[in-house]
Amino acid sequence: MAEKIKILYVDDEPDNLFGFKASLRFDYHILTAINTPQAIAFLDNNPDIRVVFCDQRMPEKTGVEFFEQIRISHPHPVRILLTAYTDVESIIDAINKGNIYRYVKKPWIESDIISAIFEANKFYMANSMLAVKNDELQKAYDELNKFAYSVSHDIRGPLSGILGAINLACEIDDVEEMKEMLFLMGKSLKKLDTYILSMHDYYSLQRGELNVSEIDFNRLIEDIKPLYTVISKTDNVTFNIDISQDSVFRSDPVPLKLIFNNLLSNAFKYQDKKSIAKSVDLSIEVRENKALINITDTGIGILGSHIGEIFNLFYRANFQEVGSGFGLYNVKSALLKLNGQIEVNSVMHQGTTFKITIPSI
Amino acid sequence: MSINFSFIIIDDGELDCYVTQKFLERIDKNLLVRTFQSAHQALDVIRDGYWDSGSLHTVILLDLQMPLMNGFRFVEEFEKLDAEVQKNYSIIILSILNSATNPADIARILSYDKVNSIIEKPLTREKLFLLLQKAESSINVL
Repeated sequence: MAEKIKILYVDDEPDNLFGFKASLRFDYHILTAINTPQAIAFLDNNPDIRVVFCDQRMPEKTGVEFFEQIRISHPHPVRILLTAYTDVESIIDAINKGNIYRYVKKPWIESDIISAIFEANKFYMANSMLAVKNDELQKAYDELNKFAYSVSHDIRGPLSGILGAINLACEIDDVEEMKEMLFLMGKSLKKLDTYILSMHDYYSLQRGELNVSEIDFNRLIEDIKPLYTVISKTDNVTFNIDISQDSVFRSDPVPLKLIFNNLLSNAFKYQDKKSIAKSVDLSIEVRENKALINITDTGIGILGSHIGEIFNLFYRANFQEVGSGFGLYNVKSALLKLNGQIEVNSVMHQGTTFKITIPSI
Repeated sequence: MSINFSFIIIDDGELDCYVTQKFLERIDKNLLVRTFQSAHQALDVIRDGYWDSGSLHTVILLDLQMPLMNGFRFVEEFEKLDAEVQKNYSIIILSILNSATNPADIARILSYDKVNSIIEKPLTREKLFLLLQKAESSINVL
């Protein structure tokens, strides 16, 4: 059986507490409190209490009053009132003020309590499920909002730029100017294309299942290297690769490649143009069922105040047009999928290092 | 057409900067125009007095949706500059407008003294003349 359901029972009669615990402790995790302050302390320290039973007649506070209070301070546990008095007035109060889930008549019999716990637990589970779903929904809405912004900035932006350029092109005759404009239009379109590709990555990461296979890092890097060898030559950036793998590593190659591609393209993209000795260092070491990956660049660096936000969707720490705000978010999602960790160290105008740890699956 | 003011264009899109600048220069090729892809940089240059407008009034053409410092923030920061600096400028918003742009933000930005009007991208010849008219009137009210 899974973990026992945690239950709190509040009553001013020690005998009642003892009897309750004695008959139910095998099936449930029972906490008992002799007064309401003690009960509140239990609730504070045990956020996983699912059901609270309380006696109605207690010296310093009635059960209804206690429920009225914890209904606000500890809204999650399901409230059940135990009472020998069944006058209509107190029932109405219990329902309206204490918002109780059930009523159990004293003296109670075990089967009543067990069925009350069973139903209350179902109710509790449904509620917590709802809370979890609500959180997920809220997160999805937040991302949708960001999407709306991003669609207008990153899709409509380039399109309206190109439309403007076409409007202008209708009026100019100079071929050189025209060519310059075509070049910029091409750049805009390429950016749009990259954006759409990253959006595709975003979706495949959110939805896809893991496809685990044995990873040979030498081969994996061999696959993605050619692109960066070209950039390394044209931009004059030294590209150093150091791979040491002597044991088997299992993971999903698709998110792995995505991580390498995003971090490497950032490392090359955000180089300091003024710097003389530009380099990107990639090192991969597999040991003890873990891959330790370091990607270090001599780039412009990330401002300390931005570091906390760079993994957020659509966050851009640089005004240059090249970023879409997808890249590092996708890296984070990919790492989440692979159960990996990432750390960033950056010094302005000196460079940035990303340290990644991924366990073998 | 003679234009007696200079321009600063602030837009993170390289193509947008280029197109707006060319549109303006086609009317008067001696026009003083400078483009910034970063609102931050533009603000620094204006604050520190590094923009030489040739003693002309300057019209700032401002995009709204930009990373790091967007158009709304730029205007807020601009309003904090010395009155002596501010008086040489007026701002016209030149941006995409759509459902993602909060109408309350637009209303707020238009309530600033220095913000003259909004023109929706993409820029066309007709909109350009409208823009110049608005720029002209922004100087005349001073």
